[in-house]
Amino acid sequence: MAKSYLVLEDGSVFEGEPFGYRETVVGEVVFSTAMSGYQESLTDPSYRGQILIMAYPLVGNYGINDEYSHSDRVHTRGLVVREYCKDPSPMYGGRTLDEFLKSNKVPGISGIDTRDLVIKIRTAGTLKGAITEDPEGIEELIRDLKRRPFPSESDLVGEVSTKLIEKYDFGKDVRIGLLDCGDKSGSLRDLAPRFNVTVFPYDTPADVILEHKVAGIIVSNGPGDPSHPVILNTAARTVADLSSGMPIFGICFGSQVVGVAMGGKTYKMKFGHRGSNQPVKYDGRVFITSQNHGFAVDESSLEGKDLIADQINVNDGTVEGLRHRDLPIFTSQYRQEVSPGPWDTSFLFDRFEKAAKEGRR
Amino acid sequence: MRKEYKKLMVIGSGPIVIGQAAEFDFSGTQACRSLKEEGYTTVLVNSNPATIQTDQETADSVYIEPLQASLVAKIIEKEGVDGILSGMGGQTALNICSELADSGELERLGVSLIGTQPEAIAMSEDRELFKETMERIGEPVPLSRSVTSIQEAIEAVKMINKYPVLIRPAYTLGGTGGGIAYDEQELVEICARGLAYSRIHQVLIEESVLGWKEYEYEVMRDSKDNCIIVCNMENLDAMGVHTGESIVCAPCLTLSEKDHQRLRTASLKVIKALNIEGGCNVQFAFNPANGDYRLIEVNPRVSRSSALASKATGYPIARVATKVAVGYTLDEIPNRITGTTFAAFEPAIDYVVVKIPRWPFDKFRTVDRHLGTQMKSTGEVMAIGRTFEEAILKGLRSLEIGVKGLDSITMTDEEITEELIHATDKRIFAMGEALRKGWDPEKIADLSKWDIFFVRKLGNIVAMENRIKNGPLTSALLKEAKYMGFSDEKISELTSRPEAEIRKERAASGLVPVYKMVDTCAAEFAAGTPYFYSTYGSSTEVKKDKDKMKVMIIGGGPIRIGQGIEFDYCCVHGVMALQEEGVKAIIINNNPETVSTDYDISDRLYFDPITLEDVLNVIEAEDIDGVIVQYGGQTSVNLAVDLEKALAGTNARVLGTSPDKMDVAEDRRRFSKLMDDLGIKQPRSGTGYSFEEAKEIAESIGYPVLVRPSYVLGGRAMEIVYSTDELKTYVETAVKVSRNHPILIDKYLTEAIEIDVDVVSDGKDVYIGGIMEHIEYAGCHSGDATMVLPPFTLSKEIVDEIVEITNKVALALEVKGLMNLQLAVKSNEIYMIEANPRASRTIPFISKATGIPLAKIGTKIMLGKTLKDFGLSGYKAIDHYAIKASVFPFLKLPGVDSILTPEMKSTGEVMGIDPDFDIACYKALTAAGNKLPMEGGVYITVNDSDKERVLPVAKELLDMGFRIYATKGTSTYLREKGVETTTVFKIDDNMKPNAIGLMREGKINLIINTPSQKSGPVRDGHKMRRLAVELEIPFLTTVQGADAAVGAIKIAKEQNFSVRSMKEFHTL
Repeated sequence: MAKSYLVLEDGSVFEGEPFGYRETVVGEVVFSTAMSGYQESLTDPSYRGQILIMAYPLVGNYGINDEYSHSDRVHTRGLVVREYCKDPSPMYGGRTLDEFLKSNKVPGISGIDTRDLVIKIRTAGTLKGAITEDPEGIEELIRDLKRRPFPSESDLVGEVSTKLIEKYDFGKDVRIGLLDCGDKSGSLRDLAPRFNVTVFPYDTPADVILEHKVAGIIVSNGPGDPSHPVILNTAARTVADLSSGMPIFGICFGSQVVGVAMGGKTYKMKFGHRGSNQPVKYDGRVFITSQNHGFAVDESSLEGKDLIADQINVNDGTVEGLRHRDLPIFTSQYRQEVSPGPWDTSFLFDRFEKAAKEGRR
Repeated sequence: MRKEYKKLMVIGSGPIVIGQAAEFDFSGTQACRSLKEEGYTTVLVNSNPATIQTDQETADSVYIEPLQASLVAKIIEKEGVDGILSGMGGQTALNICSELADSGELERLGVSLIGTQPEAIAMSEDRELFKETMERIGEPVPLSRSVTSIQEAIEAVKMINKYPVLIRPAYTLGGTGGGIAYDEQELVEICARGLAYSRIHQVLIEESVLGWKEYEYEVMRDSKDNCIIVCNMENLDAMGVHTGESIVCAPCLTLSEKDHQRLRTASLKVIKALNIEGGCNVQFAFNPANGDYRLIEVNPRVSRSSALASKATGYPIARVATKVAVGYTLDEIPNRITGTTFAAFEPAIDYVVVKIPRWPFDKFRTVDRHLGTQMKSTGEVMAIGRTFEEAILKGLRSLEIGVKGLDSITMTDEEITEELIHATDKRIFAMGEALRKGWDPEKIADLSKWDIFFVRKLGNIVAMENRIKNGPLTSALLKEAKYMGFSDEKISELTSRPEAEIRKERAASGLVPVYKMVDTCAAEFAAGTPYFYSTYGSSTEVKKDKDKMKVMIIGGGPIRIGQGIEFDYCCVHGVMALQEEGVKAIIINNNPETVSTDYDISDRLYFDPITLEDVLNVIEAEDIDGVIVQYGGQTSVNLAVDLEKALAGTNARVLGTSPDKMDVAEDRRRFSKLMDDLGIKQPRSGTGYSFEEAKEIAESIGYPVLVRPSYVLGGRAMEIVYSTDELKTYVETAVKVSRNHPILIDKYLTEAIEIDVDVVSDGKDVYIGGIMEHIEYAGCHSGDATMVLPPFTLSKEIVDEIVEITNKVALALEVKGLMNLQLAVKSNEIYMIEANPRASRTIPFISKATGIPLAKIGTKIMLGKTLKDFGLSGYKAIDHYAIKASVFPFLKLPGVDSILTPEMKSTGEVMGIDPDFDIACYKALTAAGNKLPMEGGVYITVNDSDKERVLPVAKELLDMGFRIYATKGTSTYLREKGVETTTVFKIDDNMKPNAIGLMREGKINLIINTPSQKSGPVRDGHKMRRLAVELEIPFLTTVQGADAAVGAIKIAKEQNFSVRSMKEFHTL
């Protein structure tokens, strides 16, 4: 039986078996505790540059179905599982995870004690790692991992953001803009029932957006570090420039971009929030949310600024949403109406819709 | 925020019955602890003494009283209760609450229901209201109509426009009286039954979703409308098999994320619509062909499923539901598992949980084993693994049905096909067999309506079996097999090598299990939960900390007939006692319903099968010092000898009575010899290794004789036989007799009084916890008999002699800990029937009745304390009567004769306690569900030898105004003695009036029928007994029982009873 290895920068090596595409890959190793929704996660652009560990030990049980893809391709660099299903239930078509990874040229490794690995990352923090089938090269790989920067140190958003301005007409009354930090398709699916949408590349300047006469702007989800110099000079600047002119709604990465644009600071979390069971307290209520982020807005950096952290994670007290004191600007650090994850919080979209309509009047 | 209450009441669920088992002891106990933690004063009422919740420490006042609305109202009034936590005692508690609400009692007493409101109970129970509510929130339910007559039912099917249809009676437990009708004849039959069982005489006729998948969601909601899902679960068996009868896994394994979110969202809508503040269970049928779903059922309370979800995730639903009910919001309640997070989150798990029901068909050989909408299982096991294969294999060997995994079963192709289509308890084994025969998984999935995903998983197990069988067993293959969950025992069977050798080889190559934690969060946060399961992987989470002595208590496994909640009670008390002594208490058990598997009871909980391999693994992983085998019933006793052998040369040892002495008690020959040496009489007996031998012994002893296989639990396959022919039938049908499986033959003592004695001894001194006299004569299994503490007919001389015999036996067996004796008294002679060198079924009953915690004392003695340390000696006299009555599953298991025999049939027990014997008797009988009539007709038909004894009973009934009906023989006799009777025809005469007709007309409200002492008549009255069960007419099969019941009726007619808390009993 072929062997494959998950190698971490701290020198630990886990032996398993290869599946999916056969290639050595390197990335930031993160884990998700979601018990289903593997396809949605794999195709989520926020996982760009990352090797994803599924904490749940059985992956791929219900197969792959085009309907569930979050974007047109797999964004994770690799997938680590305890066991993947070779023969999924036919209920959803029966296409396998193995085929899906192969056709997306992404390797997987199975037979790993993923709980052990999760504990390691929970303890050590996010680590760089690699999946390889070459036992000879492991030592060299570890040295390389130690030297190599985290993927988030490169301009990941630039890799995934749309390149051109695109107009979508869904037959609605209001047109809004979507500043695409990498999650165009997922956002479009959620926005289509409410708005006509113009998608802008992440580095579109504010004046260009203003020319398109949109009633508000949504800053999308995306991968990487929101305080990356490239972001500070592009998306964050655009948001700052637009802030007095129209309603703004930042989602996930977009939330952090808004935070940075309005003077806040972000930091890299020890191992982030990835899963579909994160409790967020907002306005006295608790909502169960789906999250995928490794960075967060530092609440103390908002002191004396116009933003208030009005949503807080019940587990660890981190910032989960921001609101401007006066302007119709708000954010959520978690996903809205998108799989995987609960659909508890669509009211934020309602609020944005209202603000956009009022702004138009 | 917390709301203020003067006093809060928790209502328990009463005796263990099919559909309501130990899960409500677990939830009620959690609820009481949770309330105490918040500083509330609490009152608990339950009729079941074998529960932890009826311990005096659980609540401020504990009442062991029948669960009747009128008595509950008395307690409310007496105690000044102003709030009732309604959702903790199953359907029993909900029914009492809605009865109190409907009658205006709640209002009159100024008490409010908290958690589940009457409206929510009505909405979930009244199918029509449920339908309306679901339609209002836009959630689909099956086409249906509620009907109150058979004619309406026929009309309803016209509306639905296709058979089959489901019939669901309103307000019953575990689907009692429901069924599936494939044609009009069946419809009429099932409806008649269903209407009779329904408290409001209503059944629902419903569109069939047979063959659809079934999913369940456990939801929590607080007063601020915060909602979370604790867990979702997938039934492997499709719709048509009750969820309590289905193999279930958690989380759902074949549901896509999108469909999961659809069902999750629907579940949240439901709990909001029902306005529940607490927990709720939502069941869906899901059509795999097109993704349609229907809401099938909602339980607005904690349930069997929520107990399973709590154990499966570590999220304590009952505890949190309680806090929510008193006003806290989920984000205010700490998650005690992680210690750092809160109850407002959705647990993430990183393992597979499998639940398998435990059916009583091994005991009830005549019962229809088919699984349907009526629950038949008495208990369940849960297993945790990192793969489905591992979890299911662990589950199967936890069942204690003599299988080592997915064992082979001999079946023809036709039998397999039939089994796949119409499931019985054997279906999973039939699937294994089909796979072994090379059947296509598609075909198996298609016939059984299982998702092929699971069939293929079983296929992986079969493939592994073949690889092991074909050999050689390389270390790589052994590793693969262990990772898949194969037990050493199974590998030993497949390779024909001794199990111990496999174990040794495994250990030598470092292939030992690791232990992973159940932490609610898939390791995202560091947790300190002492809750583990075994698996194979790269690292273990159990640290070999050795700061104090460690003792493991082996649990009792699944609840089954003969081994009930009593043993869990003993295990929990054992844990408490160990902790009181500063010893680290470790539990191994696999029953998700129980208190012992609550993660905050022991210092460490291992949720694993109870086999030698699994137990030894934990002993090694923990470096255990001592093992207690006396508290897990026969499950743990059976391991004693092997454990001692395996532990030789290690630090660990079996605590208490030595396994060798336990074996003396268990082994008939060794025990007989001991009795002879001690000069204690025994009914004449012998051991037969073949039919011929058995026959010879029986003839020399003289019929009737009591026959049974050796080493049994709960009198399994025990019968009284009256002739050689019957002995032959027994040997041919009930047991296989062979060199290795002899049968035991004892003289059956007719008309003897049977006695149970429970003792605790330190090897030097003996304390008798209680001497209990059975109301029924010997021959009725002690688990079924009605028992009285203290004895009510025995002379002082006899009691003294019993004490003497007990002392002798306890000292001879060097008992350290607990022991139970069963004795018979006939013509002033005392006979030893058996000794059980362990905690018995009656330990909690005696402990409650006397206030002396025997299981705790026994544990401390096992640790080295002496009875003198507790100031205990002799035996405690009490100034009240405690009567134990049993409850039977006859209603739910058509085919089981309701006659009492040496074979145990009851599922649970209640206690009636009062200074007055008759009142105690009334309380016990009514708490056990007997609807004792205060007026009406009594049907008496007794055998010749009982005629004289039944006369005073008949006279008493006549004096109280009852009309006596009797068949010719009895009637003539009674008339001659001056008792006016109405003569009716025998049922076999086929003439009217007869008992059957009168019963249907409601003219007979009590039946006294003693079968004659030949076996034929056992079948004669069967029809009548069956009808009595269905119509819930109390049916007494012994004159002693009749006498007690009549005394109870008399006292109930004369006076109003008072209620008294346990504290009042023990401090007066």
